[in-house]
Amino acid sequence: MMKILLACSSGMSTSLLVKKMKEAAEKKGIDCEIWAVSQDKAQEEMKKADILLLGPQMRFLKYKLEETAKEIGIPVDVIEPIAYGRCDGEAVLDRVIEMLKK
Amino acid sequence: MNKIMKFLDRYLMPLANKLNNNIYLTVLRDAFMLAFPLVIFGSIFVVIANLPYLNVVLGEDGLNQLRTLLNVAPNATMAIMTLFAVTGIGYYLSKHYKVEAIYGAVISLSSFLILTPFNVIVGETAQTVGGVIPVERLGAKGMFVGIIAGFISTEIYRKIVQKKWVIKMPEGVPDAVSKSFSSLIPAVFTLTIFLVIRTAFYYTPWGNIHDFIYTSIQTPLMALGDGLVATLIAIFFIQLFWFFGLHGQIIVNSVLDPIWGALSLENFEAFQAGAEKLPHIVTKQFIDTFTVGMGGTGMTLAVIVAIFIVGKSRQLKELGKLAAPAGIFNVNEPIIFGLPIVLNPLVIIPWMLAPMVVTAFTYFVMAIGLVPPPTGVIVPWTMPIFFSGMLATNSLAGGILQLVNFVIVMIIWLPFLIAIDKQYYDKEKKEETAKN
Repeated sequence: MMKILLACSSGMSTSLLVKKMKEAAEKKGIDCEIWAVSQDKAQEEMKKADILLLGPQMRFLKYKLEETAKEIGIPVDVIEPIAYGRCDGEAVLDRVIEMLKK
Repeated sequence: MNKIMKFLDRYLMPLANKLNNNIYLTVLRDAFMLAFPLVIFGSIFVVIANLPYLNVVLGEDGLNQLRTLLNVAPNATMAIMTLFAVTGIGYYLSKHYKVEAIYGAVISLSSFLILTPFNVIVGETAQTVGGVIPVERLGAKGMFVGIIAGFISTEIYRKIVQKKWVIKMPEGVPDAVSKSFSSLIPAVFTLTIFLVIRTAFYYTPWGNIHDFIYTSIQTPLMALGDGLVATLIAIFFIQLFWFFGLHGQIIVNSVLDPIWGALSLENFEAFQAGAEKLPHIVTKQFIDTFTVGMGGTGMTLAVIVAIFIVGKSRQLKELGKLAAPAGIFNVNEPIIFGLPIVLNPLVIIPWMLAPMVVTAFTYFVMAIGLVPPPTGVIVPWTMPIFFSGMLATNSLAGGILQLVNFVIVMIIWLPFLIAIDKQYYDKEKKEETAKN
């Protein structure tokens, strides 16, 4: 089971994407848990996740969050802005699958 | 254009990085967030106690009684905001340094209280009444002392812990016991320093550090923050950061929230005291509810509506449909990254201009008294416009002002949207003919 955590300023705009990603995952028959939190909770929440995705507007936090992510051994990625704007759940999910395969 | 973008991205990104990875600013932001649910609770009951026509329904006496009963809600939350901020600073900063956070929180709180006078001077005869903490010192007036005391005390506490000047307990002593002992020396040491500071200030003309910091640091900063020019500069930077796809408010607010928050609190205290005229125009709500945060960052709900009016291209229409439901609740990332606004030279003029025009306009109508300034009540930022404006000002005029602002933004955007729409439309047409 894949556990995907998304974070933005307050977890609002990423939760739009979460919904679309869940729909995409269901269509593909992928078993996963996807949830969104505000950036101040990301440090704690990422302990439960396999990957952390940041909203592009929060990309300046990547450096800081990567420190913790490295400790627990999960990748951090910034969501591609166009996919984010279009709420393209499928594109983001595909990218996650590709990243976790490595 | 490309060169300018590269230049700005090169300098803005590091600035954003610096501001957001600065541990003090991050801690300060989290500490303010801590009080948020409490402040919302307080705000709800302020709004209820000030509903229109209550005096008709309940009578003057009934209304006074209701207010006396309900006022404890804001008094126990908003009026003592600084206590939560101070505790939060101690907690989050200790957590960052990986020392016992709950002790950091209470040491920070106690350090702040040590600096606070435990008496008030009342009446014409200037009689000193002891055994009380003046509530104003725990609210707006003590905000900056609290922030400074919180950071300094926690820094001292964690340094001593990290230097291992602690009493070690032998094995077998319960964990809670040994923890309380291990915080003993750091706590005593830190608090003693604050007692010395308090004593030193007792012999100055101010009598206490509260009045010193309030008059020499907080008042000038608040006067600056309450001015139109500084506000326009702040909004300019919020918009500029967003233009580069960075969360402008998170970055700019981390610096300005203490000032905007203190301005809001002073308005709130005046409002609760029944003041005719509130002291400040620019407050946290001025920024969030009337200007840059209205209908989502950069006031883009107006852009969505404009798209519905003039949009012909499939791309814009689809975007409008996707963005509208979230936009009503002031969430607008689909527009920012979907239109896109980020790095799009076609939108830079309306994007930067509209919120600044609206800011100047809002400031003006509040200054001449057409619309009352915000009461300091915190409205959740997801509250749809019109309602949020009414709640923030306790007046219908606030809601109407938002609608006027909305129209201003739309007018500024329309010519540019028409141009963008035409570009997309032509491209779509071309693609279609190419397919056929």
